[in-house]
Amino acid sequence: MKTLIKISWRNIWRNKTRSVVIIVAIVLGLMGGVFGAAMRLALEKQQFEDTIETQISHIQIHHPEFIANPEARFHISDGLEIASDLNKRDDIKVASPRIVFDGMAATANLNAGVRIKGIDTEIEDKTTGLEELIIEGSYLIEEGRIPSIIIGRRLAEKLNTAVGSRMVLTFQDIEGEVINASFRIEGIYSLPSRTFEERKVFVKNTVINEIIGDAKAVSEIAIVINNPDDFRSVASELQNAYPDTRVRHWGDLQPSLYYSLEVLDEALIWILIIVIMAVSFGLLNTILMSILERARELGMLLAIGMKRAKIFSMIVMETTIISLFSGVVGLLMSYGMISILNNTGVPIPGGDGLSELGYASVLYPSLETGFYFQIVVVLVVFAVLASIYPAWKAIRLQPAEAVRQE
Amino acid sequence: MKTVIKTKDLTKIYNSSVAPVKAVNNVSLEFGEGEFTAIVGPSGSGKTTFLNLIGGLDKPTEGQVIIDDTDISNMKESKLFDFRLKNIGFVFQSYNLIPVLTAKENVSFIMLLQNQAKEAMEKRAVEMLEQVGLSDKIDVRPSKLSGGQQQRVAVARALASKPKFVLADEPTANLDTESAFNLLDIMSRLNKEENITLIFSTHDQRVIDRARRIITLVDGAVSKDEAFDR
Repeated sequence: MKTLIKISWRNIWRNKTRSVVIIVAIVLGLMGGVFGAAMRLALEKQQFEDTIETQISHIQIHHPEFIANPEARFHISDGLEIASDLNKRDDIKVASPRIVFDGMAATANLNAGVRIKGIDTEIEDKTTGLEELIIEGSYLIEEGRIPSIIIGRRLAEKLNTAVGSRMVLTFQDIEGEVINASFRIEGIYSLPSRTFEERKVFVKNTVINEIIGDAKAVSEIAIVINNPDDFRSVASELQNAYPDTRVRHWGDLQPSLYYSLEVLDEALIWILIIVIMAVSFGLLNTILMSILERARELGMLLAIGMKRAKIFSMIVMETTIISLFSGVVGLLMSYGMISILNNTGVPIPGGDGLSELGYASVLYPSLETGFYFQIVVVLVVFAVLASIYPAWKAIRLQPAEAVRQE
Repeated sequence: MKTVIKTKDLTKIYNSSVAPVKAVNNVSLEFGEGEFTAIVGPSGSGKTTFLNLIGGLDKPTEGQVIIDDTDISNMKESKLFDFRLKNIGFVFQSYNLIPVLTAKENVSFIMLLQNQAKEAMEKRAVEMLEQVGLSDKIDVRPSKLSGGQQQRVAVARALASKPKFVLADEPTANLDTESAFNLLDIMSRLNKEENITLIFSTHDQRVIDRARRIITLVDGAVSKDEAFDR
């Protein structure tokens, strides 16, 4: 075995240029694949952080009519009790009850359509980390004479207002009557999503529920689950548990994001397969060339009594060594590349436009260590498969003819 | 003299697209231990095919090849590999050394395939390289050796595992006169000193002049079988 490995290793370096070319091709292919995978994971991670964790949560529960008509009157019966029950479940990290409806926000001279969210400040902070998003002023405080409101940075710019100023909200109460209420801007938050910043305003649910005339009205329950991968099964379970409501997971709430990640997943798998297949075909070509050049020598080995199985193993060994060697080099270089990019970040072309849609404009690629090993295992498996044809060609040689080949 | 190789009505027919070709035609011969035989004849007379048949590299269409009472004509391939490994040494026209191994490693390789102990294998390899006059080239790779030196390594390799006989297909064809004489001196000496059976296929008069038995093939059949006292 030791000699077989020694011969295989030396055979690889028999034609240095050819071996270096294929090694470089494998290393570059591997780096490309790793980069793609790391970017995909970075995108998913940032989408979760920017959109799902801070904006919509994993699952939301509404009154079925609320989806088409986001008005205060379409609230969930026993919403507070449901939220309380959900907060006791092991698979749910936190469930935040909200009263949500559309209205108009006005300052002295300007106004804009907004979605008003009445929240339980403590639970909401655990759900979306709202307090950490505040860039000016402070989080919602115990109410004084004028109730507090938190608005987005872009809405503040649009309405030309600031922390400490007053804002009047106009909306319908539980009976459909139009109400005006005055608030003091307590804090301004910031998120990558322009639409979210422009549209969503937060007030305390105790205040807004009193204004709309129903202290217990809940029109939305935002849920963060412990294992984000279980979002489908948990949503389905909740839908069965609360049939009078409409339960939607983040994929239903953000279908474009959901499908783009799904498509990206599929595309990435195909890209990886194509890269590894291209590399494998390159390797197959290299090994095949080497076999054809060594036909006389292989014929001699067969003639003196080296068994075909051993020759087969020798060819597969050469491929395994070259792919392992390239794999390890590629891994180290990929690891270095991802580590650097994880620090510097990768700006996405047209990032400003993306941020309007709630997408991050800079990605920070990263990969779990296990992935590096997985990709090398896949590479070696494909390489070994690619070596079967040249190895088969080698063992089909007829020694009497092969030893006389020019 | 003990018979090492015996062929009985040995025939090999190649089915070419035009018409079947009888490369070896009904050859019955015996080779004794320690013989130095040259198989001669014009190109296409069947010398190499005959060597391939007695070396177990090709299967006869008819007839038998018996080596030390073992009929190898219809032996299974896997057994034939073992048989060749243990009993037959080969020297090829183009040396056919493994370029990535040193002279010593090339000589040891066949013993390695036989699973011999490392120390014994290395000792024997060095001993054989000394016998062919290459004790100073033990750790040199084939690319750094002349054609004559490479062929001497090939001879050392063929003899290292102490085979029953050595088949040499045109071993001097690619060598200059001095290298050829040098090689023949070595092979003659080993033949006499170690009683090794040597069978050459050759056109080379230098080889023919050394052989103690000359078999002439014409159209695959034996036309002459002469013995000489040399």
